[in-house]
Amino acid sequence: MTDSFEHLIRSTLTDLAEEAPIVHDQLSRAERRVRNRRRATVTMGALGTLAAIVIATPLALAGTGSDQPRPAAPNPAVEPSLPVPTPSGPAVGPGPVAPSPSGEPGPPGVPGRSSVPGPPGVPGPPGVPGRPWPTVEPSPSGPVAVPGAPGGAPGAPGVPSPVSPAVEPSPSGPPGVPSRVS
Amino acid sequence: MDEDERARLAEFVASRTPALMRVAYLLTGNRSAAEDLFQSALARTIPKWGGIRHADPEGYLRVVMYREQVSWWRRLRRWRETPLNQADEPVGADPSGGSDVRLAMRAALRHLPPAQRAVVVLRYYEDLPEARVAELLGCSVGTVRSRTHRAVTRLRELLPETELLEVRR
Repeated sequence: MTDSFEHLIRSTLTDLAEEAPIVHDQLSRAERRVRNRRRATVTMGALGTLAAIVIATPLALAGTGSDQPRPAAPNPAVEPSLPVPTPSGPAVGPGPVAPSPSGEPGPPGVPGRSSVPGPPGVPGPPGVPGRPWPTVEPSPSGPVAVPGAPGGAPGAPGVPSPVSPAVEPSPSGPPGVPSRVS
Repeated sequence: MDEDERARLAEFVASRTPALMRVAYLLTGNRSAAEDLFQSALARTIPKWGGIRHADPEGYLRVVMYREQVSWWRRLRRWRETPLNQADEPVGADPSGGSDVRLAMRAALRHLPPAQRAVVVLRYYEDLPEARVAELLGCSVGTVRSRTHRAVTRLRELLPETELLEVRR
């Protein structure tokens, strides 16, 4: 029954208890443990404080110096500009927009705006040949064309300058094609 | 701690060490582990001596021993140890009668987990009620009951089949 089994457990535990070792001088050993534990606690506390300081100091320094940019921050003053496709100097005009060679002298276009050829209008005067900085004159028919104004019949083609833009006009080409959207 | 207090503490330790070592030996089942458990509990009691010396220092020390035995930290330390004795060897038949059953019960007690072993010691050696055991171990009465049931079931399973039929029925 359960009582006999519990009696067996009790008697076995009583027999085991009689075999317990006899020890002496437990107090001094326990006091040594107390000292070691206290020393370990102090040491671990100091190490924790030191670790917190080591971790928090760089963060605090980085947080206080907010006026100066970070050492790795990009500097806009020395940032290289985007390459300009104009081979003869700084371009203010249309840039890569191909002018219509033989069609209406379209407007040079404004950067960032689509250069759509205007309706037919009065032809412009002949262009001035051979200007050293024709960056705003993509058309060989002269700089008279007003941006955004309706274009007219092609004027007399000017003589292209040796330092003209990379796009060379072909005076007798087919009618102009609407320039691409820049 | 002044000399007077230390003398009282030394007197308490000297007078109660045998009884407390018996409990520690029952809780651990190992002599060295029992001594380590008693010293550890005593080391936790010494800093509190000024507050418990007029109350119940032995009860405090026992509670520390019980809870230290079932603590997770002590369990981790115990896993790193490798017992080298042959205490768990199978028990053969004993013609003297009864001794083999008790030896088998000793071996079965060693296989109990620390929590179940502590409940068995408190219930069947200290003869404490379930509510008192729950209070000492810091758990509920239902936990004490379930641990006791599992411990007894485990002991029944670990006992050898022969020579125990009159006990197991």
